[in-house]
Formats: sequence, structure tokens, C-alpha cells
Amino acid sequence: MTLAKTRKLPFARLRRIAVIAGHAFTQLVRMKVFYFLGIFALIAIASNFFDLPQHDGPETLGDHGLDFLRLIKSWSLGAMTLFSVVMGIVSTALLLPKDVEDRTLYTILAKPVPRIDYLAGKLLGVLLLLFVSLALMDGLMTVMLQARLSVVLEVQTALGNARGWDQASRESLRIDTLAQGPTWALQGAVAAVFFRAAIMAAIALLVSTFSSSTLFTTVVSFLVYFIGHFQADARDFYLNSDRAGTSSAARYLATAISAVFPDFQLFNVIDAVIQGKTMELIQFVKLTLAALYYVVVYTVASWFVFSDKEF
Amino acid sequence: MKRHYKLPILATGLLAAGGLRASWEAPFTTELRAAGLLAKPVEMGTRDKIGQTSSVVALGGLRTLVATFLNLRAFSFFENKRWDDLAETFDLIVDLAPNTIYYWDSGGWNLAYNAASYYRFDSELPALRRREGWRESILRGRAFYERGAKMNPDDWKINAALGRMLSDSNKLTDFPAAAAAFKASADTNRAPSYVRRSQLFAMARAPGLEAESLDLARRLYLNPSNRVATLSCLLLALECRATPDRPPLKVARAIFESDAAAHDQLSDYWVRVRERYPLDGVATALQELEKHLAIPAEKSVFRRALQSAEGPDDWFRTR
Repeated sequence: MTLAKTRKLPFARLRRIAVIAGHAFTQLVRMKVFYFLGIFALIAIASNFFDLPQHDGPETLGDHGLDFLRLIKSWSLGAMTLFSVVMGIVSTALLLPKDVEDRTLYTILAKPVPRIDYLAGKLLGVLLLLFVSLALMDGLMTVMLQARLSVVLEVQTALGNARGWDQASRESLRIDTLAQGPTWALQGAVAAVFFRAAIMAAIALLVSTFSSSTLFTTVVSFLVYFIGHFQADARDFYLNSDRAGTSSAARYLATAISAVFPDFQLFNVIDAVIQGKTMELIQFVKLTLAALYYVVVYTVASWFVFSDKEF
Repeated sequence: MKRHYKLPILATGLLAAGGLRASWEAPFTTELRAAGLLAKPVEMGTRDKIGQTSSVVALGGLRTLVATFLNLRAFSFFENKRWDDLAETFDLIVDLAPNTIYYWDSGGWNLAYNAASYYRFDSELPALRRREGWRESILRGRAFYERGAKMNPDDWKINAALGRMLSDSNKLTDFPAAAAAFKASADTNRAPSYVRRSQLFAMARAPGLEAESLDLARRLYLNPSNRVATLSCLLLALECRATPDRPPLKVARAIFESDAAAHDQLSDYWVRVRERYPLDGVATALQELEKHLAIPAEKSVFRRALQSAEGPDDWFRTR
């Protein structure tokens, strides 16, 4: 079958993107990025055995074990955020310069591969790497959390028997305890970590299309990451306050910054989940759509810059 | 396309996409805030106090992680009896993790109990300053609990802790406020049954709530699991107060399983003067019971030492 015919086949474009994504994923895996999982495992296990000093009062209703569960979630999700954002940015920042260095880019672009397919494939490869990494970390966290949850529940049952708690008290405490264990909301929080890293990967892709070095892409992307967390505050300060002395120029600048940079505060639902709050499905769907919007916008912007770039 | 045209077009495109995003992003943020899934932004004052590194970590969506480490710092302040630093640290902690009940419970307890006890027993300060330190710590603890209860209206634990503190005879008792706190806790329908009983115990000691107290005591008594000693004794006192003509012994026999059980429980209740429970009809009932049970005079409860009724005036006397 000729190449022209292959290109017209249904899903040919998707298949092409998948091939590039698979290649990018393999390329990243060969860089031994999964070694960090060992460090994560260490953090997860340490958080499970680390005895926090407690300030329990005399009337505490045997709920001090809940703090250990919060600690495991807090440490694990913290490490996941750190690893995924670093991995998302650095992996993406490496891909384009590496393809130029290895001259793979010239080979690919010499073929009838649309540049958007090339970029989408590279980004999907990074996203696949992030997904696999987070899935492995999530699995480890869930196992640790479940193990600790069982211990906490056992201790509470023994305490309840010793103190002669009634059924209502036991049930109330059990509900509070289970909310701190592995829940669907916790999986939603892990997904929020993935979304944030995915957006950062898309931003790093955009930066790498006009940057000349990996270091520049990495530094600028990290700056964008922090701006993304501050920008909502700046926007509120300049746009929603009637403060005297706020100039029009400052307001326009705040509007421009908040329009161009992502607002990462949306993805801070992680904190509420660690505290035992529940995320509704509809909220999760909206969060997914928000992340998708960002990824699509920054990928299209990357393509716009990359479309006629000469190498 | 020429390169110098690209940048303005890219900027315009990103601005347009950002403008489009604003239409759904702001309402979604409000929705997440209303659902308690997004905390309000970290205050500038809090950022200054937790330091730049922690501030960046907190802004990076890891507020609970920073709160965990601040909790370790608070424990060190507790060990070193640095109560002002401890109070400030707990203010930071709850600013970062306002929905973690443990921090509210722990902060309030450290202030109202540990700091207050330190000023009462251990401090080398002069009596007047010890008393002021004791009083101030309790008020700080109360304010902390109240703030936590306001921020977490669906939680039962903070209100229960507040009610316990306000009805503690070693603290600055405020029985009407304690009853209201226990009621708020019990009304969440997630609190253990003892919280509703605690509401009754506080109500019974609040002036002007006698009728409501009797009504609640009668309702609680209907459930056998609520028939703990204090509730049974309190029901007797409230019944005798409402109908002084009714013989207390008859009331006691209607409430307690046997004369011996009534005597045991009422004896313990009688000596707990420090807790300021109503005592209507209790003395008469005990006298009658002792007669019927043929208890020798030397073993009479009226010969037992009553709880010390010492208060702040005695604790903080100039040494």
C-alpha cells in the first residue's frame, strides 16, 4: 500500500500520533526516569512508620489514628505533585532538543508528517509517562493507606470495647475514619495532580518550540508554574478590590497575566481531599474539562509557533 | 508567516483563549469554594510567618503538608511551654488546613487546658499575673474553638470540645453557652449519644432553663442506654424542683432500679458539689434511703467529705 493511501485510511492520523507517542515514551523510559519510584516508595513507607507527636486531650474519641492517615496522604500527594511536575517539565523540555541533536527530527519532518501530529505525539508520550508513574505511585499509596486504615480501625474497635462505646459512637467514628482512607475522592485528587502536570507539560512544549536550550525551557516553565499559583491572588487584588492607588495599567497587566497564564488554584482540591472532603463526579468532570482546555490551547499555540520553524 | 507577526498573533490568541476561559473558570472556582473543596487563598500575613519556602509549597497546592510540619513545630512549643508561639503556630496551621478538625481540637485543648494549667500550677509569676495568664489562655482556647466551630458547622467534635471546656468547673464556666455548643454538636446527628446527655448536664446548670432541662431529661431517660448515674440523679433533682410536694423517695424509686443503686448513685452525686448540679430533693431522698437500707450513721453519706469547692480566688492567692 502506498504512503498516500495509508494517510487516507481512517484513524491513520491517530495511529501516526500513537507511534510518535510510543517512541517518545520509550525514549523517556530509557532515560531511567522510573528510578524516582524508589524514592517515592521510601517516602510512602516512611510516612507509614513515622510516629507523629500527638496533642490528644483526655476526651479525644480515639481518633488520633486519623492523623497518620492524613500524613500518608499528605506526604504521598506532595511527593506525587513534585515528581510529576518536575518530570512533566523536564521530559518535555528534553524531547525537542534531543530529537534535533539525534537528527531524528529531520527524518520525521522530511516525511509527510504534519507538525501538529509530531507535537501531539511527543506530548502524549510525556502524558503516558506521567500517567504510568502516577498510577504506580497511587497504587503504592493506596496499599500503604489501606494497611494503616486496617490498623486504625482495629485499634478503634479495641478502644470502643474497652470504653463501652455505644453503636452510634462507633459508627460515627468509623465513618470519619473511612473518609480518611483510600476513597474515590482520593483518586480524584491523584487525577488533579496528573492534570496539573499535564498542563505544565503542554506549557513546556510551547516554550520549547521557541527556546534554544533545555535549561531555558525548564526555568521558564517553572516560573510559569509559580505564576499559575500566584496569579489568582494578583487578579483578585487588582481587579476585585476598590483599593485607591491601583492604576489602570496595573489592572490591564493583571488581566493580561490572568488570561495568558493558567490558574492552578483550581487543582488545589487536593488539599481538601487530604482533609477528608468528598469530590462530586460532576466537579471531577468539570476539572477534567478545564485541564483539557488548557492542554489543547497550549498545544495549538505550540503548533502555531512550530508550524513553519526552520531547523 | 514572518516571525515578527507571529508573536502578536500568538499573544492575541492566548489572550482570547484566556478571556473565553474566564467565563467558566470564575463560576467553577466559586462552586468549588462553596463545596469546601477550595480553601480561601492563604493570607499575606500567614505567608510572611511561614517563610518563603513554605509559602511557595503552600501555594503549590500542598497546604496540608506545610500544616503537618507546622504541627511538629507546635509540639516543640508545647514541650517548651512557649504558649504565645504555640497559639500563633496553631493560627497558621488552621489558616492552611481549616477543615482538619484535629488541628482545631488540638489547638483549643493546648490553649484552654495545657497553657491554663501551666499558669495555674507551674508558673513562677506573681499570683495576679498567673491568674491573668490562666484566664487569658482559657479565653484564647474558647475563641479558637468558636472559630473552628464557625468554619466547620457540620462537624460535631469542635462544638463538643467547646461545650466540654465551657462546662469544666476548673475553667471559666458558661453553662448556657456550653449547652448551646453541645446542642449544635448533637444536632449534626453524627455525634455520639453522650453529647446530647452533655447538653442536658450543661442546661440543668444554666439558670432559667429548668423546664427545658426537665423535658430533655425525661426524653433521654426513656432510652435505657442513656440511664447513666448523672442523668438519673439529675432527673430526680429536676423532678423534685418542678414538683416540690412529691416525696423524693417516691421519685427515686421511680427512676432507679433498686434502693441500693439509688443510694450509691445519689451519694456520689451529692459529694460532687464542685460541679454545681441541682440538688433539689437529693438530701431528703438520701436520708430516707439510708433509713430504709439501715445504713449506720458512721457510714452515712453526710459524713463523707464533699468535693473541694475551691476556685480561682483560692488558686491564685498571693504566696
